[in-house]
Amino acid sequence: MAAHSRIFLPFRFAIFTSQNIRLRPRLILLKAEHYSRISHQEGVGASPHAEEWTPPLYQEHVPTSLFQKALLTVGSAAVAITDPYRHDMIAVLGETTGYYALMRIRDQMKADPVGQLILSERPRINTRTVDLEELRNLPEGTFGREYVNWLDRNDVTPDSRAPVKFIDDEELAYVIQRYREIHDLFHTLLGMPTNMLGECTVKMFEAVQTGLPMCAMGAVFGPLRLSSRQRWKLRNYYIPWAVRAGYSAKCLMNVYYEKRFHEPLEELKADLKIPPPPQVPKSTSSNYSRLYKR
Amino acid sequence: MAALRSVSLRVGRICRCSNRITVSRRNLSEQTSSDETDKEEGTERSTHFGFESINESEKTGKVHEVFSNVASKYDIMNDAMSLGVHRLWKDRFMQVLDPLPGTRLLDVAGGTGDIAFRFVNWIKQKEQQRRKTSGAEFRLNPLETDESGSDTGLPSAEDYLYSEQRGDLSDTEEKKDSKVIICDINQSMLEVGKERAKKLGLEDDLVWVTGNAEELPFPDNSVDAYTIAFGIRNVTHIEKALCEAYRVLTPGGRFLCLEFSQVSNPLISSVYDLYSFQVIPVLGEVIASDWKSYQYLVESIRRFPNQEDFAEMIREAGFRMVTYDNLTSGVAAIHSGFKI
Repeated sequence: MAAHSRIFLPFRFAIFTSQNIRLRPRLILLKAEHYSRISHQEGVGASPHAEEWTPPLYQEHVPTSLFQKALLTVGSAAVAITDPYRHDMIAVLGETTGYYALMRIRDQMKADPVGQLILSERPRINTRTVDLEELRNLPEGTFGREYVNWLDRNDVTPDSRAPVKFIDDEELAYVIQRYREIHDLFHTLLGMPTNMLGECTVKMFEAVQTGLPMCAMGAVFGPLRLSSRQRWKLRNYYIPWAVRAGYSAKCLMNVYYEKRFHEPLEELKADLKIPPPPQVPKSTSSNYSRLYKR
Repeated sequence: MAALRSVSLRVGRICRCSNRITVSRRNLSEQTSSDETDKEEGTERSTHFGFESINESEKTGKVHEVFSNVASKYDIMNDAMSLGVHRLWKDRFMQVLDPLPGTRLLDVAGGTGDIAFRFVNWIKQKEQQRRKTSGAEFRLNPLETDESGSDTGLPSAEDYLYSEQRGDLSDTEEKKDSKVIICDINQSMLEVGKERAKKLGLEDDLVWVTGNAEELPFPDNSVDAYTIAFGIRNVTHIEKALCEAYRVLTPGGRFLCLEFSQVSNPLISSVYDLYSFQVIPVLGEVIASDWKSYQYLVESIRRFPNQEDFAEMIREAGFRMVTYDNLTSGVAAIHSGFKI
């Protein structure tokens, strides 16, 4: 496969393509009265911002002001770059920056019958809702079996996803929770491991699919932590493939994965129009310089 | 009881700790229902947990949970939230206490050991100074120093007073007489403190005890100084903790409390409120992955009585010469009282 000399990265600006941008409360700075009103359920005098206040909408919801979201974005981005083991920081970054992208995803889901089903039934993927033992008993080559193999190989569990805290809309909170939980399934479908290389590839794929700014940021800044050899592989093989796959594939948020575990993986990938992973030539010391110059 | 309640302003109350009649400046009729009447009714009292209302029986457990969660990042968060100013506060606290060598200190809610480490270093420094100025000659060996004493063989007054405490008074043993016991209800905080002590090389000088400030596992009249830094606002019944402090102190002992307090200056207060509610929980989320614990922290600060009210509570527990010093315009305050 010829290496591309230039990577063309069209980035869809989700804000311009969303059907209806509902203006959320322009509450810049919360006051102490607001916090006491959550807990006490009583008015603490007439607050000028009373009409803009949103109480907690779901369990684990932490109402935040614009200022706090900005601080959280900066802080979580800084920590996520410096300490890649802090997955919760990447999650927080996704929540604080993803409001408009999530609205666009929700519109896409509402336009699709399976997406509507998912939004109404709200399935969750964790060890309580998905029977991993049953998946292990499936024949080799099926989606469910490959998923469990992938979990075992990479030593991860579907329970390690942080709950949503900073999204101020209940349905969008479910959308981002769903996105987080099917992230591992994306890994399985794309055949990528959980090392930094695989994560950057999947993030780029997701950035194209979902339009979430956090995915784009992860795909752009994640490679900073890699060696030059890995970055070469990313730039020349993985990223272009991820971008192509992202555009060619159907909207993967509209797939009811729990009902398709028994299907063979290759057929599922063909149905979802996900191309096979790229063939990366092994860069041994003898051919590294030759490949690198191409 | 109703007749007594209707009397306002200055009323003599029998302090429950010292059995001494204290003149209370608080308006009795304003007091919320006392413990006695509630025990008769048998209802569960509710108390505050930050801005939430919960049952009193739950509060200790919830506070315990908060501190178990924050223990590992406690010191980093303190530095981040106060921008290092908490170190200055604690240094000032130790200057106010100004302990002499030979003081037995009980540091309650001492968790990660900040006050205790400062105490040990202070005593060591004081002893070094004393050695430099006095030449370190005094009382090396009690058998040899009887030139100025009586020659009848009876012990001098000094010997009598100090011999039980000081044993054979060599230089190295002198600093062991200054004792510090760190007491905390939460074992995780104590573990973090022990690790820090090991790193600083102070592990031999400290004793770590698990205990509740409302029911201290120490005998009466056993410590010379009782300190509690940023711990008393987490106690469910502050009056009980104050009474316990009174109980374990020797007569003449000092109660010293460092705690967040109310800022009276409205300009500084608005900046402080903004910073507390907007920035601190965000720092908690980013550094310690724990928004809720740091939200509890800033709310519990708002719920704590102001400087005057807390000083009144200390007086009601029986302490005298109760004073307070504001730090950073009232963000923190050092309250001091003596058991005399």
